[in-house]
Amino acid sequence: MIELNATLIAQVLNFLILVVILRALAYKPVANMLQQRADKIKETIDKANADKKAAEDTLAQYKSQLADAQKRAQEIVDKAEITARQEREALVAETKKEIDRMKQNAQLEIQNERDRAFDQMKAEIVSLSLAAAEKIVAKNLTSKENDKLVNDFISGLDKNMFENAK
Amino acid sequence: MEHIGVRETVQFMGLTFNWETLCMTWLAMAIVIVISCLAVKSLKVIPQGWQNFIEIVVVWLQGQLDNMMGKRGSMFAPFIVSLFLFLLTCNLLGLIPTLASPTNDLNTTLGLALLVVCMVHFFGLYFKGGHYIAHFFQPFPPFVVINMIEEIAKPITLAFRLFGNILAGEILIIVLLHLLPIWMPIPSVLWLGFSIFISCVHAVIFTMLSMAYLGNAVKE
Repeated sequence: MIELNATLIAQVLNFLILVVILRALAYKPVANMLQQRADKIKETIDKANADKKAAEDTLAQYKSQLADAQKRAQEIVDKAEITARQEREALVAETKKEIDRMKQNAQLEIQNERDRAFDQMKAEIVSLSLAAAEKIVAKNLTSKENDKLVNDFISGLDKNMFENAK
Repeated sequence: MEHIGVRETVQFMGLTFNWETLCMTWLAMAIVIVISCLAVKSLKVIPQGWQNFIEIVVVWLQGQLDNMMGKRGSMFAPFIVSLFLFLLTCNLLGLIPTLASPTNDLNTTLGLALLVVCMVHFFGLYFKGGHYIAHFFQPFPPFVVINMIEEIAKPITLAFRLFGNILAGEILIIVLLHLLPIWMPIPSVLWLGFSIFISCVHAVIFTMLSMAYLGNAVKE
């Protein structure tokens, strides 16, 4: 049962032949294929990582752009508000000035009207006085009495008129 | 039953050969080659059919080689993969009625074991030179005796373990078939199942031990 002979050498040779055949036939292609698969997987993972990184970068870029845009919009709104306020203030000031001016004009006009009315009244008073004087003269008063009468009348009128007008 | 252990021999150029062992070896080689051809016939990135089987074997053994030998492991990968596939086929062949395992012949197992041991010493010397010889005298020079016994025991244990297990398995299959009546097939079936397990386990053990021995010799 346990008997060694030349089969031992034959078996070693058989096995070595099998190794050579399998190495050429099966091992190399399979090993190459495995390497190829490993490369492909690595490539895919690398690509996925790169894509992910690119996506993250883009997202960050978009976020920063959005934040920037919001900031700028806020700035524009603030600026517009400031401008509107300034314009309103300017308008209010202008209107106030206008009102003041109109007021002044009105006062000036009133003053002028009053002066003119006063002048007119004065002229009328003079003519009335003259008429009155003519009537007194017609009653044959002395020249002295006549002058005194006219002057008293006028001065009396003057005093009352001015006090009433003021 | 009387034919167990009796080998049919042929004479060729004055040398004696066990004819059945040789025939069964060629059959096993043919099966391994055919399966490999089927596996690599249309290699795809997404594996199918036999490609799965060969890939599992190659990847598993490559992983073991990397662990045991480091960078030089890939050099021995074709040898180790062939060894495993060959032993697995040889061991399982004997479970088919009328066929026999080439590994039930000590000539086969001892031949392979001696081949492995020769490779161990050759590559040990090639890669490590003087250090390889010096390690037999570690930790003290008198240990050379124990180390020598260990080195001699390596091929013997490797060969007899496989030979004994496979031969015993086959003998018991025949014995059970003769001993038990035909209406009680359960023990035979159970033993057949167990033999399939043993066949796989011993193919793995032989391969792993060969790797371990080679690893010790060539690891940096």
